[in-house]
Amino acid sequence: MGKRPMHSLPQRSFALPLAVAVLALSVGARGGDVPDRWWAPGEGRVLPAILDYDNENGTLRTLTVGGPLNTAGHPFFEPLVKDGRACVTCHQPADAMSLSAASARRQWDRTGGKDPLFAAYDGSNCPTLPQDQRASHSLLLDRGLIRIQRPWPTKSFNGKPVKPDFTIEVVRDPNGCNSGPNYGPKAGKISVYRRPRPVANMKYLLAVGFPFDPKQGYALPLDPDDGKPQSGNLMADNRAGNLRLQMEDAATTHLQMLKALSEDERKQLQDFELRVFTAMQMTKAGGAVDSGGAKAGPARLRDSEPGALGSIGEPVWSEFKGWENIPAEDAAKLTPQQLAFRQSVARGARVFREKMFLISDTAGINSRIGFGNPVRNSCVFCHNMSQMGNDVAPGQVDLGTTTLPFADPWDDLPLFKVTCTGRPHPHYGKVIYTYDPGFALTSGKCADVGKITLQSMRGLSARAPYFSNGLARDLRGVVDYYERRYSIGYTEQEKQDLVNLMSAL
Amino acid sequence: MKSLAVLAALVAATTAQAAQDTAGLVRFVACPVYRDTDAGRKSGCWLTDDRATGKRWDVTESPYKPDWNFAVLVEGKPSAHAAQPCGAPALDPVRTSRLDIPCTRHMIPAEGFPGRRYTLPRRNIGPLSVARAVPPGPYAERTFPVYFEFDKDFLVYQYDDWLIDNAVTWIRAARPRKLVVTGYAATQAQMVSGVKLAERPDAARERAETIAETMRRLVPDIPVETKWKTAAKPTDEPEADGLPWQSQRRAEIRAVF
Ligand code: HEC
Ligand code: HEC
Repeated sequence: MGKRPMHSLPQRSFALPLAVAVLALSVGARGGDVPDRWWAPGEGRVLPAILDYDNENGTLRTLTVGGPLNTAGHPFFEPLVKDGRACVTCHQPADAMSLSAASARRQWDRTGGKDPLFAAYDGSNCPTLPQDQRASHSLLLDRGLIRIQRPWPTKSFNGKPVKPDFTIEVVRDPNGCNSGPNYGPKAGKISVYRRPRPVANMKYLLAVGFPFDPKQGYALPLDPDDGKPQSGNLMADNRAGNLRLQMEDAATTHLQMLKALSEDERKQLQDFELRVFTAMQMTKAGGAVDSGGAKAGPARLRDSEPGALGSIGEPVWSEFKGWENIPAEDAAKLTPQQLAFRQSVARGARVFREKMFLISDTAGINSRIGFGNPVRNSCVFCHNMSQMGNDVAPGQVDLGTTTLPFADPWDDLPLFKVTCTGRPHPHYGKVIYTYDPGFALTSGKCADVGKITLQSMRGLSARAPYFSNGLARDLRGVVDYYERRYSIGYTEQEKQDLVNLMSAL
Repeated sequence: MKSLAVLAALVAATTAQAAQDTAGLVRFVACPVYRDTDAGRKSGCWLTDDRATGKRWDVTESPYKPDWNFAVLVEGKPSAHAAQPCGAPALDPVRTSRLDIPCTRHMIPAEGFPGRRYTLPRRNIGPLSVARAVPPGPYAERTFPVYFEFDKDFLVYQYDDWLIDNAVTWIRAARPRKLVVTGYAATQAQMVSGVKLAERPDAARERAETIAETMRRLVPDIPVETKWKTAAKPTDEPEADGLPWQSQRRAEIRAVF
């Protein structure tokens, strides 16, 4: 697999000593003297402009625009508190700038549980548990979940208190972080457990397509920093409206920083976050995703305009259109297995867009926006942004992943009883049982309980498990959840096609 | 049966004044029936039965569609088109407001009916990347209405967003001194299909505040005032589609110079 020459990346001014740049060229992730795939904080490695990591479905490629980047002293990579973590601890290049549960387990085994990833604060089920035991970190090790502590009563993304129109009680607290003197709603805190979201391809998550949030029924809220409309697509509960608010949240919680990030650190973080693009480049079964007429892969992500609605522009996953009808002379150059895989991915893209099913009782789609309950549509209804598969409009939707009766039974997650004090929830009624109220912890609205912001769909192969609470162990688990949730009636072939498609993103 | 007489009297009293406007229109409360037609995305059919007349109507063209778990207030005009893709005569224009009256969920099969292939409604806004045409002056005081579902203040997708987008394009060009948003609620009770319906007085204030907040976000440099009025009267503004009840449930954005 040839690496793209450096000069094919947009040349932007990026203050790096020349020596460092030259060094980076010779140190690839797959060179002879390969550094470990785990990026530990403070190693001072150079992040190459093009960085490839293998996973079970192929090769993920991460591009750093204007790179290579010397990470020594860089706030994303450097521990900001003594012996601490860095952002990179949970946002790993090999894991599509997220963190797979497999990587967490690997780090546990490599370090005997001593890696700063397993910090008591949020790398364990609860800081009150004996930290040297694996069982105390089971949520992170088994499902890749990080503890997220939200204030109660709710605060909105700009830190303003919001008076919630619901009360919350703890039904079950298997980990001890929602009860006792220091934890739980009575102590002003709610602990939920969530997957790290990928810090890459950010321009798409920040893109604003239309001036309204049709799910909330308002024009988009304005960014407190620049006065421009916010995309509303960050964080499971959208508690951070922009990257500054997000990184401040991350620094004080995950990194346990006592002092605020300096302006310089904030600039470096934001600058870096906007430069990183990641996606699958190579599939094991079908070869490069930008070959044979297909146009996927991270370079195209990097080079395209973000924020387009697939239904009025470039259809979502039409990157693989070229694999729909592979000309005989091209097919002859492929192994039967490669050909079959490519055709399957192309079919998967069509299934994603075209296989219709009834979407029902899903707040954000079936209420309050007037699509009706139920409404016939496909995967692409919600995953509608060209090339990314997140939602062009702010993507807070209640798929049921965290809320009963739609969520799977998990005895290791806390269960909350939410009682709406105003209007009942449009689908659940007055009382709702949930593992994670999601967006309601930001908006304070009972109608938003269970809504989780859609993630992007790139680099999935590198970052299992899926959904905000890691409900789906693998890509087949994702399809199976949708099949259970909406009784879609996919054929076995369609399921496999969807899995193959998602494995190639 | 004593309530029937009271009911009849009430209906007579309340419908008298609106009689001319509502001639040829239908208004009733019903549990919706979902017909599972499949002509691609968003192609399912919504049917409702008017208990008083025994007629079934296709109400699919409403900008805010039913929820199969709740009754809807149907308001509409029999369509000029004879086609019945959903297996019943259509109301168009039509509105279906979700009420807090629970219904038994009911879905019927397509039974050979095709449903309607989705087309983008006339009232849809372009992405922000598409520049809006600047409306020509001269600019003087002007009022822009937006409309709501019964008793709600929720901005209707592909209806209110379009109305507001047009208003904002004009406001950005005209640069009024301030905006006055007045919310209205149809608080006078009417009996419909045996159900006494009146909007909450608070709906007027909620509509004013919801639209004011949206205007503050869209034109942050122009001050926005709010007012509200109950006992709303119908207007004949064209974007209420000739449905007097829809025209009552509105907010008005007045640009003041
Ligand atoms: C202990 C693990 C951990 C560390 C350390 C960490 N994060 Fe995260 N990050 C997460 C989790 C978990 C989420 C998802 C939170 C949620 O959805 O509520 C997240 C979400 C994000 C997002 C939002 C992405 C999206 O698509 O919504 C950004 C941006 C981000 N982190 C940046 C950072 C930065 C910058 C740092 C360092 C200052 C950092 N993170 C440190 C775990 C971590
Ligand atoms: C009704 C809207 C909706 C539809 C339809 C929908 N999704 Fe999703 N999708 C979501 C939401 C919301 C999430 C985030 C839920 C969560 O994390 O708990 C999500 C998350 C995902 C994820 C997880 C991404 C990650 O980073 O963990 C995948 C993969 C996915 N969807 C695939 C699909 C496929 C395949 C289909 C069609 C079978 C589909 N979606 C249909 C709303 C939808």
